[in-house]
Amino acid sequence: MDGDGVPPVPIPSIGQPLPMVDGPEKIAGKAQYTSDFYDPSALTGVIKRSTVAHARILSVDTSAAEELPGVHAVITGSETDEGHGVLPIARTELPIAYDRVRYRGEPVAAVAADSVEIAAQASDLIKVEYEELPAYFTAADAMADGAVDLHEHRLGNIERHVEFEIGDVDGGFAEADLIHETEYHCAEVCQVQTEPHAAYAEYDAERGELTVRASTQVPYYVHLMLAKTLKMPKSKIRVIKPYLGGGFGCRTEALNVEMITAMLARRAKGTVRTVISREDTFITHRGRQEQTVRIRMGMTKEGRVTAIDCHTVQRGGAHSGYGIVTILYAGSMLFAIYDLQNARYDGKRVLTNTPPCGAFRGHGTVNTRHAFENALDEMAEKLGLDPFAVRRVNLIPELGFTATDQWINSYGLPECLDIVEKASGWKDKIGNMPPGKGLGLGCSHYISGASKPVNWTGEPHATINLKLDFDGTVVILTGASEIGQGSNTILVQCVAEVLGIDPSRVKVVDADSRVTPKDNGSYSSRVTYMVGNAAIEAANNLKGVLVEAAARKFEVSPEDVECLGEVYRAGTQDEGMTFEEVVMAALEGTGTITVKGNFDTLPESWGGKKYRGAAIGGTMAFSYAAQVVEVTVDPDTAEITVDKVWVAHDCGKALNPLTVEGQIQGSVWMGMGQAMTEETAYHDGLLISGNMLDYRVPTFMDSPPIEAYIVESNDPNGPFGAKEAGEASLAGFLPALTSAVANAMGVRIHELPVTPDRLLQLLEDKEREMGASTAAE
Amino acid sequence: MENMPEFNLYRPETAAEAVKLKASDATSRYLAGGTDMIVNVRRGIETPRTMIDLTAITEIAAISVGDGDLRIGAGVKLSKLATEENILRDYPAVAQAAASVAGPTHRSYGTIGGNLCLDTRCLFYNQSQWWRESNNFCLKHKGEICHVAPGGKRCFAAFSGDVAPAMMVYGAQADLEGPGGVRTVALADIYRNDGMDHLALEPNELLVSIRLPNPAAGTVSGYEKSRIRGSIDFPLAGCAVRLTAKDGKLLELDIALTAVNPYPQMVTGLDGFTGKALDDQALDAIREVVRKQAKPMRTTTIRPWYRRRVVGALARKLVARLSA
Repeated sequence: MDGDGVPPVPIPSIGQPLPMVDGPEKIAGKAQYTSDFYDPSALTGVIKRSTVAHARILSVDTSAAEELPGVHAVITGSETDEGHGVLPIARTELPIAYDRVRYRGEPVAAVAADSVEIAAQASDLIKVEYEELPAYFTAADAMADGAVDLHEHRLGNIERHVEFEIGDVDGGFAEADLIHETEYHCAEVCQVQTEPHAAYAEYDAERGELTVRASTQVPYYVHLMLAKTLKMPKSKIRVIKPYLGGGFGCRTEALNVEMITAMLARRAKGTVRTVISREDTFITHRGRQEQTVRIRMGMTKEGRVTAIDCHTVQRGGAHSGYGIVTILYAGSMLFAIYDLQNARYDGKRVLTNTPPCGAFRGHGTVNTRHAFENALDEMAEKLGLDPFAVRRVNLIPELGFTATDQWINSYGLPECLDIVEKASGWKDKIGNMPPGKGLGLGCSHYISGASKPVNWTGEPHATINLKLDFDGTVVILTGASEIGQGSNTILVQCVAEVLGIDPSRVKVVDADSRVTPKDNGSYSSRVTYMVGNAAIEAANNLKGVLVEAAARKFEVSPEDVECLGEVYRAGTQDEGMTFEEVVMAALEGTGTITVKGNFDTLPESWGGKKYRGAAIGGTMAFSYAAQVVEVTVDPDTAEITVDKVWVAHDCGKALNPLTVEGQIQGSVWMGMGQAMTEETAYHDGLLISGNMLDYRVPTFMDSPPIEAYIVESNDPNGPFGAKEAGEASLAGFLPALTSAVANAMGVRIHELPVTPDRLLQLLEDKEREMGASTAAE
Repeated sequence: MENMPEFNLYRPETAAEAVKLKASDATSRYLAGGTDMIVNVRRGIETPRTMIDLTAITEIAAISVGDGDLRIGAGVKLSKLATEENILRDYPAVAQAAASVAGPTHRSYGTIGGNLCLDTRCLFYNQSQWWRESNNFCLKHKGEICHVAPGGKRCFAAFSGDVAPAMMVYGAQADLEGPGGVRTVALADIYRNDGMDHLALEPNELLVSIRLPNPAAGTVSGYEKSRIRGSIDFPLAGCAVRLTAKDGKLLELDIALTAVNPYPQMVTGLDGFTGKALDDQALDAIREVVRKQAKPMRTTTIRPWYRRRVVGALARKLVARLSA
């Protein structure tokens, strides 16, 4: 008890807007990213890339490169015949192409040399002889009759064709008062994270051991793929993830730069550092695929959706990557946001001679959600219904299972709608805005981690170790990847909250395979939910140890010990023991304390078995978001200004309102990029926009005020009720923007991004049509 | 990271010395802010063995009031040009154009000389060495064909400097220092309509200053550019307008364009609009005149169709606003 007689209380951490625990290092420039590792003896790795889009490799002549003084290793596709990939059924991508190249920019050789100049010179000296094959840059061309198959095991260049029917679709359409079909096209986009890809590999030739530092979201997967492609025992490899400059999904699988750098290090029997350019980072890709979505929707005159029929085609690029997962998500995520009973889905993931796509924030859902929400608004307009009314009439009536057996335990979408409707002044503004101004609404949702991991090993989903020693510091050992999203901060808050201690007493050691427990990585918004729950269990276990030690000292039973965080006591009159004293008591006889916490998903959340692949879409909890976008459109230039965004996100419980708000704003902003400015462009398969001038990520000047509201639906299984916070608010921006433009200008644009040239074309078409109809009268 | 090749860097203190150094090596290049050129060096588009850093030449770094004109040293930073009081007051289009170049960090490095002598830009040219090699290079650099207009023997890379048109509507003059001394020409005359070779400078000549004539000072002017983002982007189309009007009638009208041709150009055929009222019909006609003279090609990812539309829209908007 302190001097003035106020009894001590546990220190709250959850719900506190704590600054990120790794903020000071980043702000001060002390944080070491992969490319900051530099040893004077380190060689420079350079990757030589294919100049052609599709060809057989007839020969690779490395002799001149090898003879160049200062060159220590030259490797080609013959270095390994082991492929890599995410899914065990789709590991056919080689780190370096061997007998065939499938996209412009695919690695064909690599060099390690004393300097970047020598490495680049050596790379130029490598001569590759190609026999060109027909190349396909659109999904339609790749699927055309007679097209050459990119991969022998994928006939017709279909990576995966997903078809399913849930409920009674024809019956649903028969029930509809209005049936409407519409199509949307979304351009391919890249993540453009701050830090270009880098790897730093040290090979210890004496012991045959490899240490790799990599700019990755998934050090465990990198570890597995290094072992596979280098054919090394996992025990001889150590993977460390240093500070990371963002990921957004482009680093959720092992990338060729990591494997190539490791192979170069082994060949050179030394250390190799490879930092690839922004252009090469774009080409390594794993962004969101180009996609066409056609939706036929049945609706009653009240706005209730009676059935949908969704056809979609994704241009996946030259290798599988996450492709099969992406096309499955695009179908399964049609569900679990509204009460949808009858749906038919036909999705094709197509292999093309473009860089491989991957798992971009909002993985799988964004483009189909865009089409779905627009379809709702198109039909609302035809039926004379308000966009909010249409969403409300389709809300899920009660918690439980969707028609696809996805499990919903908390559902804050109704409150999200109420909040943004009120905050935006929708009711007063809609229909009463001056020319050129408009409002649009979009809803979206996301999973809190995939309930079935892609690598099914029988292990728990997440494991946390806690270490406590004489110094009274609680050390969290986690394999989870802090990628800038704040996962280390969340884990500190979870542990500190359970123990009631000062969060500054809790420190994190993360993502080093030699030290920290394995973790699947930072993707599909799994870390807060899964690793957070594991951290809570670990902290409870530690608390048990401490309470028992205190009980021994107090000579009472553990149930009689009161844990007040920094003080433990056996009764209100008792002076108690400080946390440090309890720790010393706990160490007696045992020494350093290590405890563990696990988390596993419940079988109910595994997504059911109604169609092949239905597990993709299964999650412990769905997050929800609704947003209203207000725009002003210049009628002469078709330039769109986003005046304001109001967004509400149901994240279950904001463990840290500050970082949640940041995640919501970041999601909206990223959705804005896809909706308005960002797209890749190719010239015969050559990425023409592989730089930050031609690939237009929004700037500060383009960023509107984003008013973020947090909705707390308190998920029964989430850590302190929390669920996903970093993805759901992205997808809603896209349809909200196109609907706002439609509201402002009377034209609905079906192609993303809504650049002014596309919009002006539509406006002029409309003007012409109106002119023609006036003339006809 | 794209490699920065090695080169010798000189830092002369006078323009004459710079010109002399320039002549010593056929590959040499002048270097001012470097915000555009260094990118091209990293990409292997420029391969100078000698670079002549102009930042120590104090004689070209100042703005001074001359006899009958305002003399702006070529080394003056764009950020200064954008905020200098007498430029904001007397030549507003120039300040607006300077303020619209790229982003704040570029403007604090980039100079007016660099912006005026900016290389022309094209999607098929401003790419990495690997990229251009994969695409068989192009007419402008190392290649045989123009990918924008295959079959033709002309380069359509677009001049994309923002400030040139804003200075041209004021009838700016350029002082050029060469091995034989200084000559002064109309700023418009240092350009030609050829994306491959758009600067009509003599070998080793250095742009040392720009003169904005006094008589035009204080007339209303403005600059507008079209771009996808509110910052960073080069213009998709840019338009500067200077005019004088009285009692609703136009007395003088000068319009210059950028980014829609390989050179910044004065719009011709505007004489018919002076002395007349500026009604909607006249404004529409001005828009059409401007559109007809803009000949953007597929040098960016945004369609030429739009750039021609928008440059007319910008001109119309500016004329309407400035005459109001």
